[in-house]
Amino acid sequence: MLRMGPPPGEIRSMSILDIFGSRLKLLIIMAKAYLKRCPMGKFRKQAIIENARSVFYHSLQAANETATIRDFDLKTQAGIDFTGDIHEEHLFHQRVQLLAVMATAMAEGRPFGHFREKALNDNLDRICETLIFNFNVNNANFLKVA
Amino acid sequence: MSQVKIPNVKIAVIDGDIMVRDFVTTVLMYCVNRDVMSFDNGMSAWRYIESTGSPDIVISEIDVAGLNGFELLAKFKEKHPGKKCLLMSANPDDEQSARDSGADAFLAKPVSINDLFGVVENFIV
Repeated sequence: MLRMGPPPGEIRSMSILDIFGSRLKLLIIMAKAYLKRCPMGKFRKQAIIENARSVFYHSLQAANETATIRDFDLKTQAGIDFTGDIHEEHLFHQRVQLLAVMATAMAEGRPFGHFREKALNDNLDRICETLIFNFNVNNANFLKVA
Repeated sequence: MSQVKIPNVKIAVIDGDIMVRDFVTTVLMYCVNRDVMSFDNGMSAWRYIESTGSPDIVISEIDVAGLNGFELLAKFKEKHPGKKCLLMSANPDDEQSARDSGADAFLAKPVSINDLFGVVENFIV
């Protein structure tokens, strides 16, 4: 039997944050695969649109929560003070939402010129920097077939 | 280029948590570029397997309503011994039981993108 996932001591139910983080990483891989000219069939396009919608929604919700905490000077239940990172967190979510819009556009077959691709690349780089996430599309052979 | 192990693969995902179910379905749909069936309980999945058509791979949470993952695995393997059944769980105690019951893989939660890519690479492409 093949075994995948975390070691026994780290097994737990998946939280909303787990799902958001994983979906965001998937969106990054989808965009990188597009830039590498990996083939996109009907269901891949559908998966990109669904994933982008989910990431956008959760990012928007997270950004709104951050703004509410800032605007009303609220404290989180855990008592964490956001004041230092609130600007960076806001910008990060704006970038994530932009990525979701870009991914939807690529799945819908909207034209992508040189500068749009550059903007997509730059946005991916900045998000990956924040997440400390790196993925090489060349290592995923299944992405090269549709 | 790797060889496709199961061409035009049919996959069924079963999990009572809609967030997890949709996430796993989206990742697999993207990876294989095929439609992926999803169910919120084991009984609906079994009805689909019996009536409509049999998936090549079943990925089921163990703790689901109707038929649980172990029961679904037993029925599926009895009907289709050559096909693959993978079990997911957030309970570490389920791992040994999954091994004993003949599961092809055990996916411990939280499931990551790499785990699901591993499923695709090991069983499909």
